[in-house]
Amino acid sequence: MDIKYMLEIFPQFLSVIPITILIVVLSAVFGLLLSIPVAAIRIRRIPVLSQLMGAYISFTRSTPILLQLFLFFFGLPVLLQLIGFDITNIGAITAAVVCLIFFNGAYMSEVLRPAYLAIDKGQHEAAESLGYTPFQKMKGIVIPQMAPIALPGLGNAMIHLIHDSSLVFAIGVVDVMGLATIMSGDTFGMKQVEVFLTVALIYWGISMVSEQIIRLLERRKKRVLRKTGYELKEEEAGYSV
Amino acid sequence: MLNIENLNLSFGDHKVLDDISLEVKKGEVITFIGPSGTGKTSLLRCINLLEKPESGRITLGGLTYDFGSITKKETLNLRRKTAMVFQQYNLFKNKTVLENVMDAQIVVQKKSKKAAHDKSMKELARVGLDGKADAYPHQLSGGQQQRVSIARALAVEPEVILFDEPTSALDPELVGEVLKAIGEVADSGMTIILVTHEMSFAKDISDRVIFMDQGRVAEEGPPEQIFNHSESARTQQFLRKFYTTTH
Ligand SMILES: Nc1ncnc2c1ncn2[C@@H]1O[C@H](COP(=O)(O)OP(=O)(O)OP(=O)(O)O)[C@@H](O)[C@H]1O
Ligand SMILES: [Mg+2]
Repeated sequence: MDIKYMLEIFPQFLSVIPITILIVVLSAVFGLLLSIPVAAIRIRRIPVLSQLMGAYISFTRSTPILLQLFLFFFGLPVLLQLIGFDITNIGAITAAVVCLIFFNGAYMSEVLRPAYLAIDKGQHEAAESLGYTPFQKMKGIVIPQMAPIALPGLGNAMIHLIHDSSLVFAIGVVDVMGLATIMSGDTFGMKQVEVFLTVALIYWGISMVSEQIIRLLERRKKRVLRKTGYELKEEEAGYSV
Repeated sequence: MLNIENLNLSFGDHKVLDDISLEVKKGEVITFIGPSGTGKTSLLRCINLLEKPESGRITLGGLTYDFGSITKKETLNLRRKTAMVFQQYNLFKNKTVLENVMDAQIVVQKKSKKAAHDKSMKELARVGLDGKADAYPHQLSGGQQQRVSIARALAVEPEVILFDEPTSALDPELVGEVLKAIGEVADSGMTIILVTHEMSFAKDISDRVIFMDQGRVAEEGPPEQIFNHSESARTQQFLRKFYTTTH
């Protein structure tokens, strides 16, 4: 094994790590934003829309994410053309981000929905009876109580997302994994182990950093939970990475 | 001061409140008694619109609201003039005792933090819990939680406080402290509508007692009349049954 070679190629990866992080952060943030209306529609059981969202969630959960990436990459331009935008190539990164936003919107909505439903009806009614607007009630009473319940699920979504983002190389994005496949080709397969081991270490690093961020939030959550009197179960406290 | 006219409420085909009319004077204490499932809770919930009646009108604080056509803004307005004390207390779990009492003053009434804080400490002192200001609800006994919820209701200075069986979720030894707090609220001149199964308390505290049966007002009058000289066979039957099963 050529450790010197690994140290040599590592700096080249530094230039593509931001792409991986960009894809992950955009997908996480906009996925969470998307998941809120999806969860709301399902909670309120708005006819038709609710069934549509159910189908969307079921579809994203039951098909391989690699397949979804291809669908978006090849399908999105066709769809855009149908509604009048003439773009034959939307760019691999855009397709990847849009796909992962949709994937996470579905996944996270299924984290938010049970968290919302876990809040006692009496909490809503107490706020309503005092004349809180729906927004004031959500902001001051409901979301603060949902947050500690939803956090483990959102943390898991984040770790999954980091891993899933490594598949975007398949549609031609030069992220960490994409660069690795290029390099492995350039060396005619001679240094494959070194290249992919370097990549593995990088993903490990990124996951560790995110895990630390989640743990920080986790500590806050435990404080909140202790205050509110919920008992925290052990399996809820850890993350499957 | 509070006037309800021809209130009707149904859940599907089930008519729960049937043409209820009620006039309450300022400072009056009105107690509703009656068999289970008769609509007492539903009536209180209609008054602050946790349930929306299909028809009827309510006048409170000089404004009349038509239940049939009430807007979102009117709903908030009416709710801000009433306060509810729930059977299960329903204190905000994520807030301290003090924050529970302060929150609506800041969020809804837009009071300054200082004004809300001072008002809240005053109301907590009234129910004897200023020493627990920084505790969280789950650290308190049921009786203490219910007293905090009374302070929370008082702090928004409503026109009327609605109490729905405020002691029926409590262990018997905790009932007294909550009744005492309610008694003090009544003495201070607050207008109160109370639903309770504590008959001797109702007799002491009420200016008027209303016996409800199957969604209607079956009999009403001063406590002395309802409890001792009821003219309605139905009331007498209810009270007789009540005393023989619980005493
Ligand atoms: N959300 C609801 N949906 C359907 N029916 C309801 C609902 N809430 C109450 N009811 C029905 O309305 C009727 C009146 O209920 P309500 O709770 O007002 O009675 P109550 O007089 O307060 O009884 P209790 O003394 O047991 O508290 C009951 O038959 C009840 O089953
Ligand atoms: Mg009831």
